[in-house]
Amino acid sequence: MMDKYNYAFLDEGSKREIRRSVLKAVAIPGYQVPFGSRELPIGRGWGTGGIQLTLSLIGPEDTLKVIDQGSDESVNAVNIKKFVKMCTGVPCTTRTQEATIIQTRHRIPEVPMTNGQILVLQVPLPEPLRIVEPQEAVTKKMHAESDYAPIWLQLYESLIKYGKVTISAEYPCLVEDRYIMNPSPIPKFDNSKLHDAECLYLFGAGREKKIYAIPPHTKVVSLAFDDVPFEKESFRGKKCRLCGSTDTYLDEIFDSATGERYYQCSDTSYCKEVRSK
Amino acid sequence: MKQLHTFDEVFDSQKVFRHLLEAMANPGRRCDIRSQSEKLFGDDPDMLAVAMTLLDAGVSFCAPQNPALTEQIVLLTHAKSVPLEQADYVFLSAQDQLPGMLASAKRGTLENPHTSATLIVKVPEGQAGEQVLLSGPGVDGLAAAVVPSDVKQAVALRDRQDYEYPQGIDFIFLLPESELLCIPRLVRMEEC
Ligand SMILES: [Zn+2]
Repeated sequence: MMDKYNYAFLDEGSKREIRRSVLKAVAIPGYQVPFGSRELPIGRGWGTGGIQLTLSLIGPEDTLKVIDQGSDESVNAVNIKKFVKMCTGVPCTTRTQEATIIQTRHRIPEVPMTNGQILVLQVPLPEPLRIVEPQEAVTKKMHAESDYAPIWLQLYESLIKYGKVTISAEYPCLVEDRYIMNPSPIPKFDNSKLHDAECLYLFGAGREKKIYAIPPHTKVVSLAFDDVPFEKESFRGKKCRLCGSTDTYLDEIFDSATGERYYQCSDTSYCKEVRSK
Repeated sequence: MKQLHTFDEVFDSQKVFRHLLEAMANPGRRCDIRSQSEKLFGDDPDMLAVAMTLLDAGVSFCAPQNPALTEQIVLLTHAKSVPLEQADYVFLSAQDQLPGMLASAKRGTLENPHTSATLIVKVPEGQAGEQVLLSGPGVDGLAAAVVPSDVKQAVALRDRQDYEYPQGIDFIFLLPESELLCIPRLVRMEEC
């Protein structure tokens, strides 16, 4: 641990502001609470909202897991682990079951999370209504008035045009029958894990300075029409070439040398665990 | 009178915050902050522990009819002491203040519901436990719980305000034995 930094890098004032926003976010599920985002010595692109959340939560009794697109070993995940370890000294793990805080981008782990665990999701663009309305002042008003007709219209138009809703990630959800929320760029496959979960989900958007949350046992419904229900990605007839799983989210890999297409688990630590059994 | 405390601004605040977060995310659950709050002095160490964790010069508070607590919170956190109608955090040490307080505490707006007040209410010792049913986000279905009568009464008073969600106020109750219990705005409490 490096002594010249504060514990968990952020100054206590920044942590307190984030903590206040987190409690509000938990009390108003799906509502985007503004906070004063700080600059962090972390590569752009990864975004810092999730890291700031993790740094404001973490303490000596925690065990951290970091994943990027399902992988514990990606350069981004490793760099974030190194950074948090350097300024806190907390142990890191790749096993979902051992972690108290899991920071992630693009996936929710395959192993169901438990009540004591917190999943911190990195969000690049928190506003689900941005695709229909560019102005922040207007989207805030739309949320205030539950004026969600424009986004429903957008979904309907995509349905008419393509015969199905074409959004593949960041598929919007309705939280507790009140707020439409962006679940972050997770695949539709993971959306159902948000509903009536055991764990706490926290979402952080650094550039847009927003925090939102889904507490355990919260109603989270992916937007859909009565006659065209929500459908997640199907991997029917496919399995992981490494562990043989047929019930996980699979990445499609194309081997340009052989022209072959194959599939493997996106959650690498889960895949390893299945193989070691 | 000069008093010293040993509450660690970094590590004890972090622990109290995680207890607050657990209690807010799991309404009805009791979370013990004794090992942190015992490092603070005065009549209201639990209140001070919550204040130390959440308050600073960036927010305001009101501790009605409690000049000693007001003075300590200002001294420890540099938060601004303001009239109730403006306060981000309200510290209540007597339940009989609640009816008047609820009517004037900030409820936030439909556009900015997070600008509502958080009420931190101290529950005195020796109260009978009452069976209630909790429901709402953070609660698994309809869950039975036993709460002190003040808690039940406070939530009933809150419901009489007829807040239009997402407006509302969130409760942090401080039970005897240094336990936290939270009832955020969407959580309902019914007779058993
Ligand atoms: Zn696999």
